[in-house]
Amino acid sequence: MKREFDFTGSLLNSYSQIFFSDNRLFAGILILVTFVDFYTGLFGLLAVLTTTFLARYLGFHPFKIQQGYYGFNSLLVGLGLGIFFQPGPLLVLIVILASVLTLFIAVSCEGIIGKYALPYLSIPFVVSMWILTLASREFQALGLNERGIYTLNDLYIIGGNSLVQVYDWWNQLAIHPSVRAYFLSLGAILFQYNMLTGILVAVGLLLYSRIAFTLSLLGFYTAYFFYLLIGAPFSEVSYSYIGFNYILTAIATGGYFIIPNKNSYAWAVLTIPLVVVMTIGLSRILAVFYLPVYSLPFNVLSLLFLYVLKFRVDNRANLTPVLIQQNTPEKNLYSYLNFMERFGKESTVPVHLPFFGEWIVTQGHDGEYTHQDRWRHAWDFEIADEDGKTWKNSGDFREDYFCYDKTIVAPADGTIETVVDDIPDNTIGERNLEENWGNTIVIKHEDDLFTKLSHLKPGSIQVKPGDKVRKGNMLARCGNSGNSPYPHLHFQVQKTPHIGSGTRDYPICNYMLRRDKEFFLKTYAIPEKGDRVSAVKVNSALKKAFHFIPGEKIRFTPEDASEPLIWDVKINEFLNTYIECRKTGSKAWFKTDDAMLYFTHFEGARDALLYHFYCAAYRVCFGYYKGLMIEDSFPLSMVFSKKDLIFQDFTAPFFRYKKGQYQLTYTSLEETLSDTHLLLESAVTTFSFGKIRSHTSYACDIDNGGLKAFSIHQKSLTRKASCATE
Amino acid sequence: MGKIPFERPLIQKINAGLPSKYGMVRRPEPIEDIEGISIESLLNEYGSPLFVLSEKMLRKTYQEAYRAFSSRYPKVQFAWSYKTNYLNAVCKIFHQEGSWAEVVSGFEYEKALANGVPGSKIIFNGPFKSREDLKKAVENDSLIHIDHFDELYELLDLAENLEKRPKAAIRVNMDTGIYPQWDRFGFNYENGEAWDALNRIMISKQIDLLGLHTHIGTYMMTVQAYEKAALKLADLAMGLERKYKHTIKYIDMGGGFASKNTLKGAYYPGSDTAPSFDDFAEAIVSALMKSEFKPDHLPLLILETGRALVDDAGWLAGTVVANKRLADGRRATIIDAGVNLLFTSFWYEHDIRPAKHLSDQTEDTTIYGPLCMNIDIVRDHIQFPLLKKGDPYVIRRVGAYNNTQWLQFITLRPRVVLIDPEGKTHIIRDKETLETLNRCEHLPEHLI
Repeated sequence: MKREFDFTGSLLNSYSQIFFSDNRLFAGILILVTFVDFYTGLFGLLAVLTTTFLARYLGFHPFKIQQGYYGFNSLLVGLGLGIFFQPGPLLVLIVILASVLTLFIAVSCEGIIGKYALPYLSIPFVVSMWILTLASREFQALGLNERGIYTLNDLYIIGGNSLVQVYDWWNQLAIHPSVRAYFLSLGAILFQYNMLTGILVAVGLLLYSRIAFTLSLLGFYTAYFFYLLIGAPFSEVSYSYIGFNYILTAIATGGYFIIPNKNSYAWAVLTIPLVVVMTIGLSRILAVFYLPVYSLPFNVLSLLFLYVLKFRVDNRANLTPVLIQQNTPEKNLYSYLNFMERFGKESTVPVHLPFFGEWIVTQGHDGEYTHQDRWRHAWDFEIADEDGKTWKNSGDFREDYFCYDKTIVAPADGTIETVVDDIPDNTIGERNLEENWGNTIVIKHEDDLFTKLSHLKPGSIQVKPGDKVRKGNMLARCGNSGNSPYPHLHFQVQKTPHIGSGTRDYPICNYMLRRDKEFFLKTYAIPEKGDRVSAVKVNSALKKAFHFIPGEKIRFTPEDASEPLIWDVKINEFLNTYIECRKTGSKAWFKTDDAMLYFTHFEGARDALLYHFYCAAYRVCFGYYKGLMIEDSFPLSMVFSKKDLIFQDFTAPFFRYKKGQYQLTYTSLEETLSDTHLLLESAVTTFSFGKIRSHTSYACDIDNGGLKAFSIHQKSLTRKASCATE
Repeated sequence: MGKIPFERPLIQKINAGLPSKYGMVRRPEPIEDIEGISIESLLNEYGSPLFVLSEKMLRKTYQEAYRAFSSRYPKVQFAWSYKTNYLNAVCKIFHQEGSWAEVVSGFEYEKALANGVPGSKIIFNGPFKSREDLKKAVENDSLIHIDHFDELYELLDLAENLEKRPKAAIRVNMDTGIYPQWDRFGFNYENGEAWDALNRIMISKQIDLLGLHTHIGTYMMTVQAYEKAALKLADLAMGLERKYKHTIKYIDMGGGFASKNTLKGAYYPGSDTAPSFDDFAEAIVSALMKSEFKPDHLPLLILETGRALVDDAGWLAGTVVANKRLADGRRATIIDAGVNLLFTSFWYEHDIRPAKHLSDQTEDTTIYGPLCMNIDIVRDHIQFPLLKKGDPYVIRRVGAYNNTQWLQFITLRPRVVLIDPEGKTHIIRDKETLETLNRCEHLPEHLI
């Protein structure tokens, strides 16, 4: 797949990545800020350019270059050198060399730390800065920079007397020293040791992320009060470049690498004193070499914390490392919450119901008869008539039971592990406790995932150990062998291949639950006693319309446009599938299985038709059940604009008062053997404090050929588009 | 103590000792109520004789049949065979349960449309469809099951002049090992007629061939025949796939499932010998699964069973008209319903019972209907209790064919009531009056 390299993007991201961001505006502010001291800015830029070109030339992963992962360390080195030394051709050379060194260290760090799935943060910067600091003492030809030292002189040169007066007035302002120190610390990250820079960075940080901003204050003030508590002089913070360690640590551990919530905030408060201790301690050691700690305490503690978390066996502390980094704590939070709500119970191997038609659960998990203790996560299934009776005639014979001799199919792909096929069926009412499980099949799906089907009819098993089976393959017939007084199917998921293994709590991938005439779709759920369950009966037209296959082309012709929009269904190297609009470049990420379509993410402009389609078909079941309603919820960041979420962002780690709801209704189906016409209506409703903020409804017309028309109704506005799939 | 009811005197040979191959002396147990409603009260309220249908039983039987197939096969559709019982209420119940309609005449076709069945869910079977009928069926997208070449030519001719393409299937008859072989409907499989028809349809390119249909017989007591039929249809379907790359959408296995009535001359009662829905389903589905159909492209399985769905849900209640002694000394009981209402008594040994407990004694009896016709015999020989004039009786399992084949002959046809699941009764067909008949008659002027 050809991918265009975004050079400007890599440049900008190298700046914003210092704060873990890829926000362009924030990057712009940061660039501006570095140029407050012109030469410093210039050398910073030089460092970024060198690194980016070199990384590209050497052929590192374009994505990593574009994200600024390599660039930001060099940038910091460039800024540091630029502020310490007198500008000149020699410094240019030194900065270029330093950038090369930093890139090498960065890539090596990636190789060493990356395999523990940890970020290397700004370690390359610290190491290369130390080396250069130590070495440069011998560089006789390199003059020290004097600009930062005689501030008033500089100001006088730039803005004359009036600027000096402004500066004076500014310094006289009654600003609490801690506030000053906070801004200075923020500016210090970019080696710009003045309030103005700090304020600009703070504004940028606020624009980028409310959570990061809150955490920066939290981190800084925790440190401040801890200094007061231990009686260490806080002036040390104010007059050195170390305050940002607290800010960055709080952002990294409180919200960026960990999903922000009250626990992560609490842990940020708890770890900051450790950073303080480490800062003071390390400073003592490094003082021997006359080296500043730079961001070492931040690096050490963040890595320590993230590494330690990996060894937990469960997440009882509710500290969840971010798996898919979306570069803002807000996005991470919203999509994580949404993901947990939608797919939290999802299982790696989808296990389906092992039969045709509708069966009833006669004993569920923690059942009253035998599903107890180690074997509590099992189901007994039978077939019942409308009155709930499971037999006809007198019920004295096996054949009287509706489920007897019915086909049992494989619940998922796998290999047959064990088969027992020679235990006779019991007479009704009798149990065979000697061979408790009766005729049984155990199927292996994964190393620790087996399913077991028991009480089968003797001689009915059509598979043998070692056979590969696909989901839905016929295996055997329902019988009455083992501990089974009347015919039923015992079904369980277990971790080991033995007959008699304890059970595993594992959901059924998707199924329909019927109550009277009404159907409910259940995904990754556990059928309960009395539930009438059946597999989703796929409607081929619906499946054709929504089961997108990479390589497909969908042509949308909006009513008001003459040119059709062409959407391509694509797949990337991680096997993630998405639809890409050729015109707008927007992408809607989705996943499908035999019975469902889920849209998982959208990238691009919100006014694109694809965005609306993402909303309209957010979750679609390929079975048609009249009146069926499917509900789901959106990540807040996908249905609210950034502006709308500003206040929500602050409180989001603790509570959410906004909500984006999805609702799909199966409105009508006219089906003949040769024609199908289907209408699905969906709606996206956003709420704020329980009050409706916006409501958009969609309608999808579907026929045999797939999706035919799509319409959007938003307030009084209606947009329509006709569709064709190729 | 009240007066003991009079029981007529009876002399009977003592039949002691071990039961013979005819078993012990059997006495039909009385059936006093239907779905909890006493038959006497029904007769008092609605008159005698009276057809009674149970909605609960209709739905239950349908669900049982549907379950038998749907728990074995993923795509199952029933089509209600109108000719079995086309009382609107009965049809509507089946349509509510999800049945399509299967009709065999223009009249039945109209009836199905009037019952709200969409044209595309009506299967038009039978050897006689007029040009007008065919035209209507094409325009309504109904599924036309072609019975013979003349019909095929007619349809091809129509297709040329109509905008819509006919949606059709061919009916195939075949040797399934049963006797008599039904070869009068459809095209024969063994002699290649079926392939002739298919070739013509495919080459003409004017008809959408959607399915294949067979109906191997009626009152089938063996399920193996269905298995053979399903395999032969599957073979035709696979042949079409190979030859024309044409995939059919459905296989219609017709009906013919036996109900639990006992056929005349049968040794064992039907309730013991008739295969269950599960047996039929097992035979048909296992054949389809065994065939070459791809598992994810299985055709829709359509079933048109009528009798087995409705027979059990119908009762005919009435009153004894008279008793008399025949010349050979046998007893004869005349009841108020005969072959005019009970067409099926020509082939069933109908299960007739007293509708209340009257006597512990039984006597070899012939039960005659009320018609002044020699053939009006409901049961030739039956060990029947000694019913008197005015006593109520009830005949079980009369839901199939009687409400469509009954005759307005000598007497008028009685009411039909339906007992709904809540136990309420509804008249679903009123009794005929002189007016009903006279409405269609016209007197020439000179006779008035």
